[in-house]
Amino acid sequence: MAKIGVFVCHCGENIASMVDTGNLVRSLSDHPGVEVCNEYKYFCSDPGQETVKRAIREHNLTGVVVAACSPRMHEQTFRKACAEAGLNPYMLELANIREQCSWVHSNKEQATGKAIEITRSLVEKVKRNNELKPISVPVTRRALVIGGGIAGIQAALDIASAGREVVLVEREPSIGGHMSQLSETFPTLDCSQCILTPRMVEAIQHPNIRVLTYSEVEEVVGYIGNFTVKVRNKARYVDIDKCTGCGDCIQKCPQKKIPSEFECGLGNRSAIYTPFAQAVPNKPVIDRNRCTYFKNGKCKICQKTCQIEHCIDFDMQDTYEEIEVGAIVVATGFQIQDTSVYGEYGYGKYKDVITGLQFERLASASGPTAGKILRPSDGKEPETVVFIQCAGSRDPSKGVKYCSKICCMYTAKHAMLYAHKHHHGNSQIFYMDIRAAGKGYDEFTRRAIEEDGAGYVRGRVSKVFQENGKLIVRGVDTLLGKPVEVAADMVVLATAMVPQPDAKEFAKRIGIGYDEYGFFNEAHLKLRPVETATAGIYLCGACQSPKDIPDTVAQASASAAKVLGLFSREQLEREPVVAAVTESTCAGCWGCVMACPYNAIEKQDIKDRNGKVIKQVASVNPGLCQGCGTCVTFCRSNSIDLAGFTEKQIFAEVMAL
Amino acid sequence: MGIQEQYRSEAASLLSSGEVKLVIGFGAGSTADRRRPLFARTGEEANRFVLDASCIANLSTYLLTEGLLSDGKKVGIFLKPDGIRSINILIAEAQLKPDQVVILGYAIENGQLTALEGRSVADFNGVNEKIRSLALPPAVQQDIERLEAMSPVERFQFWQDQFSKCIKCYACRQACPMCYCRRCIVDVNQPQWVNTSSHTLGNFEWNIVRAFHLAGRCAACGACDRACPVNIPLRLINARMGREVREAFDYFAGESTDQKPVLASFSKDDPETFIL
Ligand SMILES: Cc1cc2nc3c(=O)[nH]c(=O)nc-3n(C[C@H](O)[C@H](O)[C@H](O)COP(=O)(O)OP(=O)(O)OC[C@H]3O[C@@H](n4cnc5c(N)ncnc54)[C@H](O)[C@@H]3O)c2cc1C
Ligand code: SF4
Ligand code: SF4
Ligand code: SF4
Ligand code: SF4
Repeated sequence: MAKIGVFVCHCGENIASMVDTGNLVRSLSDHPGVEVCNEYKYFCSDPGQETVKRAIREHNLTGVVVAACSPRMHEQTFRKACAEAGLNPYMLELANIREQCSWVHSNKEQATGKAIEITRSLVEKVKRNNELKPISVPVTRRALVIGGGIAGIQAALDIASAGREVVLVEREPSIGGHMSQLSETFPTLDCSQCILTPRMVEAIQHPNIRVLTYSEVEEVVGYIGNFTVKVRNKARYVDIDKCTGCGDCIQKCPQKKIPSEFECGLGNRSAIYTPFAQAVPNKPVIDRNRCTYFKNGKCKICQKTCQIEHCIDFDMQDTYEEIEVGAIVVATGFQIQDTSVYGEYGYGKYKDVITGLQFERLASASGPTAGKILRPSDGKEPETVVFIQCAGSRDPSKGVKYCSKICCMYTAKHAMLYAHKHHHGNSQIFYMDIRAAGKGYDEFTRRAIEEDGAGYVRGRVSKVFQENGKLIVRGVDTLLGKPVEVAADMVVLATAMVPQPDAKEFAKRIGIGYDEYGFFNEAHLKLRPVETATAGIYLCGACQSPKDIPDTVAQASASAAKVLGLFSREQLEREPVVAAVTESTCAGCWGCVMACPYNAIEKQDIKDRNGKVIKQVASVNPGLCQGCGTCVTFCRSNSIDLAGFTEKQIFAEVMAL
Repeated sequence: MGIQEQYRSEAASLLSSGEVKLVIGFGAGSTADRRRPLFARTGEEANRFVLDASCIANLSTYLLTEGLLSDGKKVGIFLKPDGIRSINILIAEAQLKPDQVVILGYAIENGQLTALEGRSVADFNGVNEKIRSLALPPAVQQDIERLEAMSPVERFQFWQDQFSKCIKCYACRQACPMCYCRRCIVDVNQPQWVNTSSHTLGNFEWNIVRAFHLAGRCAACGACDRACPVNIPLRLINARMGREVREAFDYFAGESTDQKPVLASFSKDDPETFIL
């Protein structure tokens, strides 16, 4: 016989002001199977929980319904209370009469009626609950970090320093990401390379970190604590174990005029190259598409130059390896938007219209001009520079809807750097508004205006065109309500931060969600910002949303903390809310196999006594199943059921309404 | 030699050579214009096959008889294009292996029979391409148009009248090749999702479940419709569901054997709004 305890919480006034809790208690007291029913101001408080526990013990309750808030808030609290009183924690249900009732209604009588129905239907459900036990799975205490920008480096270092192994996979020949391209960084103007390279070196030298550059993650299978990752190590044609990084080969390579990706096309590189001087590892790679030997079958000058035998190997092939890890941190960063969508700004047409990232290279001491800000067209010092903010951001028609968050700050930085390098230079910044929230940020933009003479013009630019060797920037000053024209020598576009071009495809490959743009989805924007909806896969940095270095690093450390929390245990307890197939009725149509978003369903052979396969049926891997229920709704023969939400339970719940 | 004689002798030689263990075709029925299925296991039995313009049933349902194909041996079967279409769906849903089916194909046009070329499932790829353009019989088309012209209230009334006749005999289910589940949802009684009694509500529940379970899977063979003892025009529902699926997902059931079931698959461009 069911003996159910019903506990109606007032949540202070949150519930009691809109639901007549006395009435609710009276109605439920008479419901068949309800043994005790009472109300209290805050059941989640210590005395509240004590009441529940005492009732379980005194009345030998077989099930508990707490009519209170969302299970997202206090399910764990009350499950624990049940367990402490000796009741299986899965014999608890939370009737949500706050979010789904008192907060959303304004008629007390109707709200009370609804609260009664919600609670009653959960009493009917809990009568049919089964005792469940958490599923235990072993944890491989090694982490995979995908992406070697500052986010990935920081996460890897934090995990490794806590004593756990890390595999850091970067698809470019060097780690470092965008931060290695920056000149000086807001809000403190410290040299980007100077603060980044020590971290890069620390990562590659760390005994717990294996850095795999020029590598990509091909496939992820498995589940939290137990992932198997297939990594492709792309053929570099240089044996990085043998190479000393002397660079002789680079000097001799006849292909010297290849626009350098790292320099954003402002400098050149050879076909065998390291992307930049402080690259980690500082070992070259051959660009197969540009190499004379790969094109014409003749050259190999680099190989002849190299002092070390078999170091350069033109027959090298891609290799694959499988790595077992327990957690994955995704830190694949961003790209800047292709500015050619703004034909009117003349990017690509006029050499002196450049992106912010190109400006970083011009301002960088290690850049193509050794830190001098010179016009790409003629190498002259620009007298007047115009910066155009939101060149892509906050523009639903052509660019992206969102704010890229960093451009106000880096444009102020650019104006400052320009002023520091050309004392008589004139800078004009077209802006929509200045967004400078953050520690030291507003002070920073004020400094650009007050100390470094940056001229801010509020308004949009409609057109950039060339006239008499000048770039004429035509726009409006919306504060004065007047059209303006500035004759500039150089124009810098604050281009939008966008997801990596392959972000959506990548997300599908590893099984995480993404938003309309391709930024990866966090499990909860506020409360679980570095977790994804897939247990065991975490996020940090600009792959989640546009952000600057301070935010990136903070998130990276947060994701490391999550990984370390997971690794603090040898066994992992998982919610037993998983699906199971009834083999005798499964028709083997594989609809569920295709429908399962977590690839948790396999095909299983059913054999007779002689070992002959008589049919194939679906079979759920409880370690992978996330309990989403998609398969249950798909199955026509009704052969799948979800523990904790069985059809019997749901049916009873619905019929009680 | 007429098509009947041609297929009789072809079936006989398939059987006597041992290439197939069984040929499913038509035999004489209880009246002059009725045909009933005939299962021939020997060359002699194959001589009793009848093939004429009355052979309109979709025999593919019989292929799914429990245990029939589990020995891996082949079975021959007389099929019209809609039957071939249902074979494609069954293969796509892993209920049949293509190499176990030998097709004796035929088409009926204006009362005339023509033999379809090819014997193995793969031979009919050409036919499959044409399947999309197969027109519905004019009578069905007219009924559809009549229904579409109704207001929602009238249409609901129409179906309410129709479903009130249903006696829950499940003949439609038994006749349909796509209703292959060993246990149908209506036979689940723990919990009893679909009401067993044949009052209007229970009948509605059943017919709506049937319609949804066949969305994107119906071969439009009309077997259900013909099986219904109380003449509920089930094809009209199927045709409407077929149209919905075609318009929403550009999906046409039975076009190929490696089609992914429309309601279980997704395309790369679908927004993944279901992951919160
Ligand atoms: C012009 C400009 C100026 C800026 N100035 C400043 C500043 O002054 N101060 C500041 O705080 N911030 C600044 N930023 C922002 C800063 O660059 C970012 O906050 C930071 O780089 C984000 O780091 P990340 O590691 O998330 O991404 P990234 O730096 O983009 O690194 C991602 C890494 O992942 C790798 N990767 C991508 N996909 C894969 C894959 N599938 N497999 C393996 N590896 C992969 C990439 O190759 C890359 O190395 C600026 C940005 C721009 C564009
Ligand atoms: S959907 Fe149902 S019948 Fe089909 S394979 Fe899955 S469990 Fe079996
Ligand atoms: S409940 Fe969801 S995750 Fe689990 S097997 Fe079914 S579809 Fe897959
Ligand atoms: S629902 Fe009717 S028309 Fe469609 S395949 Fe089944 S029997 Fe044929
Ligand atoms: S065949 Fe007709 S009467 Fe029988 S269950 Fe189907 S719709 Fe109802």
